[in-house]
Formats: sequence, structure tokens, C-alpha cells
Amino acid sequence: MRGSGAPGAIIMTRVASLWRYMAAMPSLVPQPIRIDCVRRAVVLFGLLLGSCGPPPPRGDRIDLVLWKNQVGLDEAAITNVLIDRFNAGQHRWRVIAQSLPQGGYDQSIVAASLAGRMPCIVAVDSPMVARYAWAGHLRPLDGQVSAALLRRVSPAAVGRYGGHAYAVGQFDAALALYTRASILRRMHTRVPTLDRPWTGAEFQTLLERLKAEGAYRYPLDLATRDDKVSWWTYAFSPMLQSFGGDLIDRRTMTSAEGVLNGAPAQAFGAWFQALFAKGLVARAEPDENAFVKGRAAIAYSGDWWEPDFRKAWGSDLLVLPPPDFGHGVVIGGGSWQWAISRTCPHPDGAGAFITFMLQDKQIAAMSDASGNVPVTEHAAALSRDFGPHGQSRVFFELMRRFARQRPATPAFPTIANAFTFAMRDVMDGKDVHDSLDDATDDIDRALADTVGADDCGRARGAR
Amino acid sequence: MGVRRHSPIAPWLFGAPALIGLMLFLVLPFVMAVILTFTDQRLVSPRPGAFVGLRNYQRLLSVGALVQTPERSAAGAPVYARVRSITRGNRAYAGYRPLTAFRLGNRRVTVLATDPAFLQALGNTMLFAVLVVPLQCAMALGLALLVNAGLRGQTLFRAIFFSPVVMSMVIVSVVWAFLFNKDLGLFNQALGWISLGAVRPVDWLGNPATAMPAIVIMSAWQGAGFQMLILLAGLQGISQELYDAARLDGASAWQRFVHITLPGLRQTVLFVAVVTTIAALGLFTQVDVMTGGGPRGTTATVMFEAVRHGVREENIAYGATISVVYFALITLVIVVQQAIRRRRGGGVA
Repeated sequence: MRGSGAPGAIIMTRVASLWRYMAAMPSLVPQPIRIDCVRRAVVLFGLLLGSCGPPPPRGDRIDLVLWKNQVGLDEAAITNVLIDRFNAGQHRWRVIAQSLPQGGYDQSIVAASLAGRMPCIVAVDSPMVARYAWAGHLRPLDGQVSAALLRRVSPAAVGRYGGHAYAVGQFDAALALYTRASILRRMHTRVPTLDRPWTGAEFQTLLERLKAEGAYRYPLDLATRDDKVSWWTYAFSPMLQSFGGDLIDRRTMTSAEGVLNGAPAQAFGAWFQALFAKGLVARAEPDENAFVKGRAAIAYSGDWWEPDFRKAWGSDLLVLPPPDFGHGVVIGGGSWQWAISRTCPHPDGAGAFITFMLQDKQIAAMSDASGNVPVTEHAAALSRDFGPHGQSRVFFELMRRFARQRPATPAFPTIANAFTFAMRDVMDGKDVHDSLDDATDDIDRALADTVGADDCGRARGAR
Repeated sequence: MGVRRHSPIAPWLFGAPALIGLMLFLVLPFVMAVILTFTDQRLVSPRPGAFVGLRNYQRLLSVGALVQTPERSAAGAPVYARVRSITRGNRAYAGYRPLTAFRLGNRRVTVLATDPAFLQALGNTMLFAVLVVPLQCAMALGLALLVNAGLRGQTLFRAIFFSPVVMSMVIVSVVWAFLFNKDLGLFNQALGWISLGAVRPVDWLGNPATAMPAIVIMSAWQGAGFQMLILLAGLQGISQELYDAARLDGASAWQRFVHITLPGLRQTVLFVAVVTTIAALGLFTQVDVMTGGGPRGTTATVMFEAVRHGVREENIAYGATISVVYFALITLVIVVQQAIRRRRGGGVA
């Protein structure tokens, strides 16, 4: 078992330190017998662990502990393969990976940072990078990962704050509309392309005709049964941007006034509310299989659903860009990224690891094994699935053309919460303008409270 | 060695383990929470929290009113200026949001609050307690009488009725969210089947009018087994001789219930009601899993607001303020209640 290596190594170091502790207190026990026993036990225990863990360090390798969120089996397996490749490819560093449950990942980072026990390398969710940088959990990548290398990576996959790059992703994700070619033929609707996506009006007409046809109780699935703040912000703030609004004013990064509650945002809110009022979208689907089971004609979801959809509909499946509501197609950019903790004693080792992970070959290996979207042009070309003729190429194109990062500000948790609560109220019929004003006031207050004058300046510089 | 009978240290010594625990995990955190309410401390921040005086309390509790006369009249109905535009444009109303509105002649009075969501949550929590305590206690009493009636297989029924209590509330909530689903949920399907399609599907958790009652029903079902057990113990404590004597006097089953069972259970029922009320005031898990406080804030509770602000938005000072105010309110209710009871001359306790 690959995954058992890391905890095994930790226990070994614990046992070794216990042995040192015992040895330092010789007066407590009849020394010869006891120490001998302990030593023998340690050796036996070590052998036991060694049989299933990685080989013990050779020479003077330095251990670098890495924390990542627990992910799907494919992604976890390929990450371990890449870490093993890194460890085997040089003799200075040895990366030891530990997986933490995703639900409590943020709290674990915060707790570790407060206790001064951060690992050297951490995986960070893209919208949290600014917050971690501001809170002092991370150190800039400056000097550890070359700027030339970062320039090759798609912009949304680099986490910047205060004029510095703090994190960089090996992969990204992409949102798309999924539907079936047979449905569009039946509706006599054109198949949109990346260059000519549906307009908002075209999309609306299609939905209403699908509803009128009567075959679908709710033609569109927006995954609104998932009430998590992360999904609502990731999925629906790009639509808000396509209408011409935004979560906050990205020129100043100090206010949402006029942007989140202006005329374009109100138009977006009214449209969103009408989706539910007209019965085009279910408020809460009973499960997440509305599209797979044929209950919905169109689904709005991420690239991670493509394998299931493909299995259900085969060559009938269409992966389409989201509609252009007037200001271009927008999808969310930025997935989990690698960063170096502030307290890491060997940032050069962490930098070497991140540089290794950004090699086109490793990116392509990650993408082909896990289905995640590669972040460089060359890696995509190397990849089987994301190459010019690969079956998942469309996601790379969507990401390259339309991905926009969520705002890089330490107040992101408040922004995401306020936006989500406002949109859920809008969905349930509350006055659109009032809801957006509420969210705007919450965000502006949080920005004024947390991000004082000095931080605002830094945030502005980050752009 | 003589044993000193009145050592002043002994009671403290024996009480120490519990007292130290209470101090460490109850009193100390509460004192820290009170201190937090006067700061702008965030959960995580590179800057230490600064003293901000009563700002958190002002933001939580300020209320006001806005009286408007109609701007014009459209088709007989008066039209008023948008409240939110006035409050956001006028410095005197900065931070205020509409809570509720009513008409006074042709004037419209809007009650404003700086945190209407909190006041709404306070009302929701009280509503939940008022609905769930009688329902749950009545259900528990009914179940207790049923499994105490000497029917066959009553031990099995005791176990069945108690089983929801030992299930995780999160799992129960997820399952009930399925049952309440508008289009495919069991309740709507059953309703439609029984009424031969006459009853339209109800969006139990999506309709502001039904969301809280749905949570009440689910919570009463989940918790009643525990109260049943306590009431069962109370029932078995009532002397059988009383029933025998009543039967000899020709009392009906209903008369025996009203004149023997209920008075005999008085203390137990009181205890059960208090325990249920305490649990009801802490309502959180069901709301978080089933509705997320929606629709339109109709199921948000005080605890939900405290967690939302304090943990999810990382504004721990504001979350602490909500908790402290809530604590003070509940304490006030209990003190008033005790005072009334004492004035009436003892009462039950």
C-alpha cells in the first residue's frame, strides 16, 4: 500500500524520540535491561513498518512534510506517483505526503499555523490563497519557483496577493453546459461553439420551449440542491460576471457597491429568480442524477461529472460553453494549488518540489490519470485526453478562454457567504434589489473591518 | 487519628474534580466570550483584536422606525419610496435594514433593525420551542402510555420508539429531507395517493409557511423516544393501588388518566418540558442540514446565526455577541419565571 508510507514514518520518528527520552533518564530504570528492551522493540517495530512503508532515508536527505486535502482515488493515486517520482529523481529531499479530510482542512491549516506546526508544503484552495497569505500562513514563491515558469501557467492557476505569487496549481477545473445532441435536434436549436456560444436570449428560449414541450418537469439542473457556499460562489458568480456585474469592484478591491447591486447584477438576479418561478430549475433536486437519469435536459456542472455523463449518454453527450449573457462567457478559474508555508525551514526544497510538479510531463500525467484540466499549453499538447484531438480538449479550451479567478482578498469567506445567502433568498422569491443590497452592505462592512487601509493598498498592488 | 467532622476543606476537596472541570470548560470560555464581544477579533487574523466598546452590541440590537407618506397613488393603492434606498442614502439610517412593515392610515411604518436576521432568528427559535415542546411531550406521553399498557411485544416497541434518539441527527436530517422532497418525496406521494391527486405537492422545505412546521415534526419524531423513557419511569412510579381503588369506585379509563396518571406524573412532565425546551432553544443541526436557514430566513435560528457569523464568516467577536445576548435573554426569562412562582407561594419546585 502506497498511502501507508507517510504515517509509518511519523510513528517511527515518534518512537525514536521516545527512546531518546528514556535513554536520557537512566536513573529511573535498571538501565542495561530496559534500554536494551526498548531498543529491540524499536528495531522490531521499525522493521514491521519498514516492510510496508518507503525505504528509510539514504545518506543526508531532508524530509519535507506535505499536506493535501483528501481527494478522489484517481487523483490521490497519481499525486503519490508524482511524489515518488520526485523522491526518486534527486537525493537532497524526501517529500512525505499526508492527506487531511477536506471538510476540516481549513481549520487544520489555521490550527497548525497558530500552533507553529505547519508542514513545509501545503495544498490550498485557490480562493483561500489571499486569506492565507494575509494571515501569514504562507511565504511568497519568489526565488523558489521561477517567474518564467509561472508565466507559462494559465493566469487563473496562479494565486497572487499583494504583488507576489503565493501558490500555483498543477491543474484547474472547468464549468460547462451538458446536454444531448438528440434534444437539440428535436428542438431545432443550433449547437453552440466556443466561438459562438448561446446568447442569454437563445438559452432562455430553449429552456422555455423545453418546459412547454412537457417532457421535463425541470429542464435545467443547476445543482442547487448542493447548498454549500463554495459551489454557489464557484457556479453562479461567473454568470453574474457575464451579465456585467461582479462580487466586488476589482479595481479598488475595497467595495462591492454598484457592482454587486448595480443594474447588471439586478438583471442577473431577476433572471435567476425567474428560473425558479417559471419552473425551469428545481429548487432542490432529490439527488444529483437529474441529467444522468434523463429528468433534466441540460446540466450546468464541472468537468468532474463528464465521465458519468459520458457513460450515461455516450456519443449523444454534448459539452458546451455556458451562455454569454452580454459580457462574454465566464467560468470560475483556480482549483487546489501548491504553496510553501511561512515556517518551512527549507523553502528551496519545497520550491524544487513545486517546480518538478509543474513540468509539462508531470502535469500531463496528472491530467490523464485524474481528468483534471492541465494548466500549460505544452502539457495539454502532451496529454492524451487534453491534446488537440483528445476527448476532453473542450475543457482545456473553456479554461484557457473563459476562466476568471475569484477575487483575491482576505475577506473572501464573507464575500462568498454574503453572495450565497443573497442568491438563495433570491431563489426563494425575496426582492432582488434588497437581497443584493444586503450582500453589498455585509461585504463592505467586512472589508472595512478586516482589511484596513494598509491591506487595501497591498490588494490593489496585487492586480 | 481522629476524623474531623466539620472540615471546611473537605467539601471543596470532593467537589474539586467537577468544579475544576466546570471552571475550565464552562466558566472560563464564557468569560472569554464576554471579553471577545467588546473587541473586533477575527477567528484568524495577523492583527490582534482591538477594543471597540459596544460596537458589536449596537450592530446586533439597534432598532428604529421609518414613517413614510405615499409619494403618489397608482390605481387606488398608495406607492411608497423604496425603504432600502432611503436607509442606504441617509447617514442617519446607516446600517439599518427593514425588519417588517405595517400601515397606519395612509402612512407606512417600517420597523428597522441593524441585524434583522438575528431578530428574525430569535422569533424563529421561540416559534420552534412553542410548537415542538407540546407536540414532543404529548407524543412522548402517548408512546409511554402505549408501551406501558401491558400489550404483547411492548419491549420491542420500546426499542423501536427509542431508536431514532440514538441515530445521528445529521443522518436523520438527510433522510427526512428526502421524505419532504416536493416531487419525489414520500410524504407528497402518500398525500397525492390518498387524495387521488387532489392535494397538490407541497414544497415542505422550500415554502416559508411549511419549512418550520416540517422541522418541528421531524424533531419531535426524533426526540420523543427519550422523553418517553423518562415518562415511562414516572408511570411505573405511580402506585398500582390507586388504580385498583379507582376501579373499585367505578372510575372510567379517562377519569383514571385525568385524576391519577396526570397528577402522578406532574413532576416528571415538568422535568421533561424543561429538558425539551432547553434542547429546542439550541436548534441547529436540522436547520443546517435540511434548509440552511432558508427559505428567506424562515428557519434560521439563533445558534445558526451564531455559527454563521462566528465560524463561517470568521467574525468570532460578533458570533460571541450573539451567544452572550442569547444567554442573557434566557437567563432573564428564567429569573422572571422563578420570581412569579415564588410570589404565588412556592408552586411545584
